[in-house]
Parts: sequence; structure tokens; C-alpha cells
Amino acid sequence: MRALARVLIDRSGAVPVAALDGEVDASNVAEVGAELRAVVDNRANGLVVDLTPTSYLDSAGINLLFALGDEMRTRQQTLRLAVAPGSPIGRMLSIASLDRAHPTYSSAAEALAAEPS
Amino acid sequence: MTQPAPPPDALTALLRVTDAALAYLPLEELLVELLNRIAEILRSDTAAFLLLEEGTDELVARAAKGIEEEVEAGVRIPVGRGFAGRIAAERRAIFIEDVDHSYVLNPILREKGIRSLLGVPLLVEGRVTGVLHVGSLTTRIFNEADRDLLQLAADRAGLAIEHARLFHQVRVVEALQQSLVPQELPRVQGVELAASYRPASESTGIGGDWYDAFTLPRGEVALVIGDVMGHGLAAAALMAQMRTGLRAYAVDGHSPAGVIERLNRLAMLVEPNRMTTVGYAVLDLEHERLRTVSAGHLPPILMPPDAEPRVLSVEGDPPLGVASGTRYREQEFPLPAGSTVVLVTDGAVEVRGEVLDLGLERLCRLVARERDLEALCRTICHGEAGPEPGRDDIAALAARVRPLPDRLTTRWAASRETLSGMRPLLRRWLGKWGAAPDEIYDITVAVQEASANAVEHAYAPGDALFEVDASHDDGLITVVVRDRGHWRPPRGVHRGRGFVMMRALMESVDIDQGDDGTTVVLRRRLQGAQG
Repeated sequence: MRALARVLIDRSGAVPVAALDGEVDASNVAEVGAELRAVVDNRANGLVVDLTPTSYLDSAGINLLFALGDEMRTRQQTLRLAVAPGSPIGRMLSIASLDRAHPTYSSAAEALAAEPS
Repeated sequence: MTQPAPPPDALTALLRVTDAALAYLPLEELLVELLNRIAEILRSDTAAFLLLEEGTDELVARAAKGIEEEVEAGVRIPVGRGFAGRIAAERRAIFIEDVDHSYVLNPILREKGIRSLLGVPLLVEGRVTGVLHVGSLTTRIFNEADRDLLQLAADRAGLAIEHARLFHQVRVVEALQQSLVPQELPRVQGVELAASYRPASESTGIGGDWYDAFTLPRGEVALVIGDVMGHGLAAAALMAQMRTGLRAYAVDGHSPAGVIERLNRLAMLVEPNRMTTVGYAVLDLEHERLRTVSAGHLPPILMPPDAEPRVLSVEGDPPLGVASGTRYREQEFPLPAGSTVVLVTDGAVEVRGEVLDLGLERLCRLVARERDLEALCRTICHGEAGPEPGRDDIAALAARVRPLPDRLTTRWAASRETLSGMRPLLRRWLGKWGAAPDEIYDITVAVQEASANAVEHAYAPGDALFEVDASHDDGLITVVVRDRGHWRPPRGVHRGRGFVMMRALMESVDIDQGDDGTTVVLRRRLQGAQG
């Protein structure tokens, strides 16, 4: 991947945390999507996508997260999001109502600590 | 007394080994053909060419007749040892009537049961380049006429080999040199780039200097200048590896210091103990910052707008390839619009026996005087700030940040890859009008949504263009995204989200779909901006 964004995986918690470091747009969303889907296998009961290190996200990335969330839901898995409150990314999520479609927390640690819904 | 005429068969033989038609054969075929003719004329059982391998002291079997195994086995004979080795070392013909097998190094000659041997050196301008020998399975006397004919064939082969070698080397050097500097500098809105390279005039091979310039995924412009110790193919090969390695690490998203640390690990791995200096500078246009790392390289020159050029006091860290695990420091300098950055290699300023500062001062004066970047790089490479021209390789790379115009008029290839390159420019332009970070973010997303639609829906595959124009009027930002195609109505569950985003982020979104294309006009008033 041209590293517009890097997907950093942390598997030390109850569910894997995938941090999106960098910028996600139409040019790299397919690759980011493939990396995220590779993280959630059938055994994991969820995934935290950490958007706190993300510096750019538009409808391309939001569409990806909606699609990923739908796929996970059909497998009884929960997609949780972490985004800094008041950040531009947080605003994008609420414009698109993504933060109402999936549980959204203000940090990855908080998302990990949350009771599985 | 008149010389007796050579016997007719000797003349024929002479003509056969000096045959001009041989010159048209590729080297390998020429060698084989010469061996065939020699063996036939001298009625020898075997014939072989051994060539001196460049950079070593060993002869390697290249073509053989009667002892083809010699080539297949890749027989190597050290110069000075054995039959062929002695011919090369003593640069003279050697005839052995009855081979003492303990004397012949090559086991294949022994296994074949060769009794008599005659060999001559291949000489080109006094240098030994190989050995030609013939052998007989029965004891026989090779006479002086045989020796002269063999020497003639050797001379013929020697010339052809030398030509082929030089031709090959020139091509390799040309190809490598081409791969060491970018074919063209990247074109980035708001930055002017120029570069020049000049190899030392007396050097026959390739220089040790290289430069590179490319854009990073997040829109920064990377400038690289480097110098590998030594000359020739080995230095050039390392240079090519360093250039590729640096690009790979940089495009992978590592920080400038992270890139150089990884490059050092690579240098330690591929060729420890060959020192390489690298100057790496990243131009962050959006935030008007310059980040630099130096691995034993000369510091960059920075000329701010309306100020004198100065040598950046970069903390110098060791060159690459010296010690593994070296930490490299990154430094940051303001880079306001109008600034000029110049990177050079030592050859540009270094004069033997002189303090380096003097050379850097000369370079600064040159940067102050010559405002045209192309001319500046050429002048530097001509040696104006250094010793007499042509003494050393010189590479120079210069960048100038142009102030952005009040009205932005841009054209982009209708490809998703151009989207990320547009963002830094847009952010920088919005920042110029005092837009707050949130406003910059929102407007950028809206423009990108319109652009992504232009890319995705407006064209049949091809290299079509779309336009993005941005203007400012008393705090009101207007961005027009225009393409030459037709928008298809959004399809699928997620298709319409781009429109939702645009409308939510801007005060007004007007879409005009005409016969000759689609125009989207986005407007938003900046809150805190000074009108």
C-alpha cells in the first residue's frame, strides 16, 4: 500500500484493535478495507477501529466502516469505534450517523473496556 | 637477399584468422570460430581461450574446443600458476613439448591426456587480458610459425574482447547512471524544483553522487542528495540500492529520521564499510515546515524570502554504513512561501586544504545572486563555489516554495490517486485566508467528495482531466469542481453519502449538469477570517 495510511493491529486485548494511522480516501480505501477484514476472523467476537490517529476520512472511509459493520453484525460480531471527541473525524461520523449505527467511544482503551453489547 | 615468400597455405591461414567478417560476430561466436580455425590450421586436438576476470587475478575458461568441459566446469587458473597462469604472468608464449602433469594445474587437461601445449597471451595496449592455448594428444613440436599464427589469432581475439568489454561497460554505466537520477522532477503545485549533476571530467566511470526528488503520499515533497564513497560499478550499484531503499521507506510513511535509520540498517546489511552520506529534506508545504536529517552530509542552504541565504545548523549524524543502530536526529525549520532550499554534494564546495565554511559561504553568495533555480544548479555543478570545474562529481538540487495565488486554478487527472495530492494544496490555500482547522477540514472533505464523484462517475476510462478552482471574496470561499462528463445518479445504499457530506459541510452546494459536463459550486463563509 502506498502508505497514505497504515493499519496498526493490537491483539493484546479481548478483541483486536486496528488503528488507522494517516489518511483514508478513495485511493486507498480498498486496501485499508482488506487489512481490516483480515483482522476480524470468525473467532473474534468484535473489532475496535481506532480513528484517533486518523488525519483524514471522508465518505469513502465512512462507507467502508458502514459496510464492515454490516458484515460483522451478520456474524454476531460488534464493531466499536474510537474517535477523539470534538475532532473533525468525529464530526464526519456524526454527519453520516455512523456513531449512532455502532458504539463509539473517545479512546481505544475505553472501547476495549466497554461491555460487549 | 629477398625473403622467401610464405608458403601458400600459411598465407591462407593468415587470412583466415584476420578475416574481417569475423568482426561482425558476437563475441562468444567469434571466440568459437577462431578456435575452430586455429585448431584446423594447426591441426591441434584442443584449443581454448581463458580470459582474465576483471577485478580478480584469475583466468576463466571462456571458449574451448576439444576440451569443452573446461568452459562448463568454469575452470579458474590463478595468474602466475600452472601453464596458462605463467603465460599471463610472464606475458610471453610458452611451449611445452612433453607435459609434466604435475605442472599443469587444470585437471581437465590432465584427464584428456594432452602431451604438448603451446600458449600465447592476449595483449591489449600492453595489458594481459587472457590466454589462448592449443594442445596435442601426441607429443609434437609447435614451431615458430605456429607460435606467430597463434599470436595473431590471440591479438585478433584480444581486440574483439576489449571492444565488447568497453561497449558493455559503457552500456552498463549509462543504464546505471540513468537509474540514479530521476528521469524528471515531480511537478507539484506551489513548488519549483531544479537539479543538476556533473561527473568529474577525468573519471571514466560513474560518479558517486546522486539526487532524488519525489512526492510523499501525504503531499510533502522529499529531497534527497547522497554521495557513496568511491567510483565505479560497485559504488553505483550501492547508490541504486540506497536510492530505491530510501524511496521505499519514505513512501511507506516513516518519519524522515525513521527513513534514514532504516536506510542505515540496509546499508549495513548490503555493504558495510562502504560509507555513504545522505542529506534528506522534507518540504511540508501545508504547514510551511522543512524537516531535515543528515547522515554525514553537508547541511542544506535555506534562503527565506527577503533574507540572506544561510547554512542550516543541522546536527550532523554519522554517514550510513558506519555503525548499525545509529540514531538519526530530525530538525525542523520554518519554510515560509518564497523560501529556497539548496542541497549539494561536497564536490560543489570542497577545496583541498581549505576550511569547509569558506566553500559554504561561496555557495550562499551564489544562491543569493542567482535567482533562477535551473541556472543556479547548473552554476553550482560547473564548480563556481568550489575548486576548478571538473575536479570532482557535483550534484545540486534546489526547491523554492512559491506563494499561492489568491485564486487557485488547478487541473487534475481523473484518477483516485490525485485526490490525496490535492488536499495539501487546498489546505495550504485555505490557511492563507485564515480558515480555522475545522473549516479547513470540512471544506477539504466537501471538495474531495465533489472531486471523487468527478473521478468516479464523470468519465469513461482514460486520462481525462477535471478542474478545481477556488476563490475568496471577503471571507466567502467558493470552490468550483468542473468535469466534462455526466454524473450518473447515485446507486446503492452508500452511494449518496458523498452528497450528504457536501451539503452538511458547506453553506451551499449547487450542481449544474449540462451537455458538456457537470459543475459543482461549493460555498462556505469563514467565521473568524479577516475579510
